[in-house]
Amino acid sequence: MAHAHAVKRYTGLLDWLTTVDHKKIGILYLFAGFFFFIIGGLEAVLIRIQLWEPMNDFVSAETFNQLLTMHGTTMIFLAAMPMIFALMNAVIPLQIGARDVAFPFVNALGFWTFFFGAVLLNVSWFAGGAPDAGWTSYVPLASPVYSSTHGVDYYVIGLQIAGLGTLIGGINFLVTIINMRAPGMSFMRMPMFTWAAFITSALILFAFPALTVGLVALMFDRLFEANFFDVSQGGNAVLWEHIFWIFGHPEVYILILPAFGIISEVISTFSRKRLFGYSSMVFATVLIGFLGFMVWAHHMFTTGLGPIANALFSIATMLIAVPTGIKIFNWLFTMWGGSIKFTTANLFAVGFVPTFVMGGVTGVMLAAAPADFQYHDSYFVVAHFHYVIVGGLVLGLFSGLFYWWPKMFGRVLNETLGKLFFWLFYIGFHLTFFIQHFLGLMGMPRRVWRYLDGMGFNEMNLISSVGAMLMGLGTIVFIINMIVTGLKPRNASNDPWEDGRTLEWTIPSPPPEYNFAQTPLVRGYDAFWKEKMEGKNAMTPAEPLGPIHMPSPSILPFLMSLGLFIAGFGFMYHNYYIGIGGLVITFGCMFFRSVIDDHGFHIEPEELQDKGVKA
Amino acid sequence: MANQPSAANNNGRRHKSEGPQKHIIAFIFSILLTVIAFAAVAAGEVNETFIYIILIGMAILQVFVQMAFWMHMKDRGHIYPIIGILFGITIAITAVVMAQYWVWW
Amino acid sequence: MSGHSHVDGQLPHEPEKATLEGRNKVLGFWLFLGGETVLFGTLFSAFLALRHQVLDGPTEQELFSLPLVAAATLLLLTSSLTSVFAIQAMHNNQVKAMINWLIITVLLGLGFLGLEIYEFYHYVHEGHGFTTSAFSSSFYTLVGFHGAHVAFGILWISLLIAQVFKKGLNVVTAPKIYVAGMYWHFIDVVWVFIFTVVYLMGKVG
Repeated sequence: MAHAHAVKRYTGLLDWLTTVDHKKIGILYLFAGFFFFIIGGLEAVLIRIQLWEPMNDFVSAETFNQLLTMHGTTMIFLAAMPMIFALMNAVIPLQIGARDVAFPFVNALGFWTFFFGAVLLNVSWFAGGAPDAGWTSYVPLASPVYSSTHGVDYYVIGLQIAGLGTLIGGINFLVTIINMRAPGMSFMRMPMFTWAAFITSALILFAFPALTVGLVALMFDRLFEANFFDVSQGGNAVLWEHIFWIFGHPEVYILILPAFGIISEVISTFSRKRLFGYSSMVFATVLIGFLGFMVWAHHMFTTGLGPIANALFSIATMLIAVPTGIKIFNWLFTMWGGSIKFTTANLFAVGFVPTFVMGGVTGVMLAAAPADFQYHDSYFVVAHFHYVIVGGLVLGLFSGLFYWWPKMFGRVLNETLGKLFFWLFYIGFHLTFFIQHFLGLMGMPRRVWRYLDGMGFNEMNLISSVGAMLMGLGTIVFIINMIVTGLKPRNASNDPWEDGRTLEWTIPSPPPEYNFAQTPLVRGYDAFWKEKMEGKNAMTPAEPLGPIHMPSPSILPFLMSLGLFIAGFGFMYHNYYIGIGGLVITFGCMFFRSVIDDHGFHIEPEELQDKGVKA
Repeated sequence: MANQPSAANNNGRRHKSEGPQKHIIAFIFSILLTVIAFAAVAAGEVNETFIYIILIGMAILQVFVQMAFWMHMKDRGHIYPIIGILFGITIAITAVVMAQYWVWW
Repeated sequence: MSGHSHVDGQLPHEPEKATLEGRNKVLGFWLFLGGETVLFGTLFSAFLALRHQVLDGPTEQELFSLPLVAAATLLLLTSSLTSVFAIQAMHNNQVKAMINWLIITVLLGLGFLGLEIYEFYHYVHEGHGFTTSAFSSSFYTLVGFHGAHVAFGILWISLLIAQVFKKGLNVVTAPKIYVAGMYWHFIDVVWVFIFTVVYLMGKVG
């Protein structure tokens, strides 16, 4: 059967636009996410400049609201989520011994919808003002009555498109992890990062549809005069808060769980010890995932839900501290007695543990409903969620980036610059946010444009602003590190840390497009480490060398997302020809995808030999 | 491809040239449950809560029948679909409870 | 190994699960339906929260007519049965019968959609427009989302019928048809809750 399909191979820009290779998509996610991380960071710096002295006039009140809204929205949806997807794409198929994800085409589609949604959201800066109702976009502030410009429309449509990409990405990873594991890779042998990605994907699957409905309702209210949240027409503003947080609370666990996974891998590798309490880690991850859906109303204690609801959600929230505590102790016990190497990746991981504990403790403080009435809407809350998101997720992400950078790019990041980056960022972070706890306790409200002199806020705000500059400086060092490393030759070995425990370290850095010439046979948890302990330096293959089937590249994901992008503008400005035209592009691409069979192509064994398969 | 009925056959792979009978039975069952629901409303003048309970009960029963038979959820190898749908239903019920108790006061 | 080794030979009993691609597709679609459950659950919750906010518009009791809903229900329920027959025919490798059952499914779906469009048209004339009240907005959004799903299903299954005509039944087309069948059942299951929660409970009050 010689199905000799001509191999379509593109080069240059077209290669990146058409790729369905999970490793390249991971790199796309990384750079797109990092780009928006810089944008969101610049917005944060502008906010801190405005607040560095009382009654500052650096930006106007309107601009401040826009900066604030876009900082939150950008960091969560356009920076953190894609960087998580970057690591998941780059690592998960390798960790489970798969040649690709379950749906390579859908994977590309997920990236491009995210990307075009993100671009649409940011176009708002140049089209009459960005969204300014906060990242939670509460009505009535976000209703057409109080927000009459197009700002919030950009929020609604941009997030809708980007959310679609995230949702299909989540389904893709669920199926990949369930169906594509190598022989012997049972669920209880999966690396912790894979487990975290699995639960995160499940949370994405069940949380994002709620956001979809919320955004649809708000869009109908804003564009087509519906009355979901319009109190004068019988609507209800609290309904938006509920729907938003039924999505929004799982969302923060979607963000933090992958960081937990990364930290588990890094600490275990650089302590040269098996992860302590693996099965309790898995259990804790699953439990956090489930409880994450049952606590959303703790964001709404002060809306007046009543004592029963407040008590219920208080207790449920405090329960989450239990599985989280299990994880913290497991990390500590993993390090205990290990021969610890303080690489940059491990510095970030070790730095993560106390920082995240602090964020967790303030979280339990906020979970006490009566106390929350005092903390509510103050800088105490701002300090809390930055401790868990920056001190938790972002430190975890940087740890993961330093750890897996050689696997993604074939080059080890510079350690000296890396450590400089860590210390600048870490000190800057605590300087910025530790002090904000006290600002909050003293009564400084969050989301204020400026504050009066003589309230005792001056020095603390100045310190906070200085810290933010340090974080910015650290990020610049990281960018320099990326450039310096990128100029070096590609010389990372298969296992550059020499203590790799999982399957991704058994193959070249960066891996060939088919990942594994022969699917490995997994004989236990920490599959590669197990082989190493038995004196082998490679995995036992589970199959003979044979032709490898690969999916063909396609431009359709790009065009499909472009169609949504165009349609978004059309509907926003009530130009229905353009709106429908955009949808026609999208559905037309779906039609072609369905009609044209994708046979893919085969890489023959001889070709594998040419490329030098290691024994 | 007639095959002999045998107890061991139920989950076998090859021979399952499934007849239409069980689907027709499921259909009749669904119609019956629907008729009960409509009749309960049409009858009217009964306790409102009682009718609500009947309606919800009939809907849940019908969904169970359709998912088990028509969507093959009772068959082997459907553990992940069952987990997925059940979790989806859990979140959906949570949202509905929210709408009932915590939106108006 | 994968893809097209079965194209010319005898199809396996469950062709939708013969390849890894097929199994992936079926599992991925199941999970998608899990997400859709949350989607409709949230739409239901918004509707339930707002259903008594009718303002000056007609109430649920004045608006809904049970015979129309019963007819729509019968159409969709029957179409679910015919789509399961189509899958059964596929498992028995009877391509002709499968196509016929799919065509009947599509026709019944079109009938349902026609009734719904008539219903909406009628409501608007009774003063129950999309912007009338919070009740009307949430009603049209919930039922309209379901109707849009039906419409998409009709287009999708029609496209698949055309594909089977051209390419025949093989391990590439079989998973598509199986998945479309699942989608159609799911739409029916959602409708069970719509006629219960929206129409019947609306009639009760």
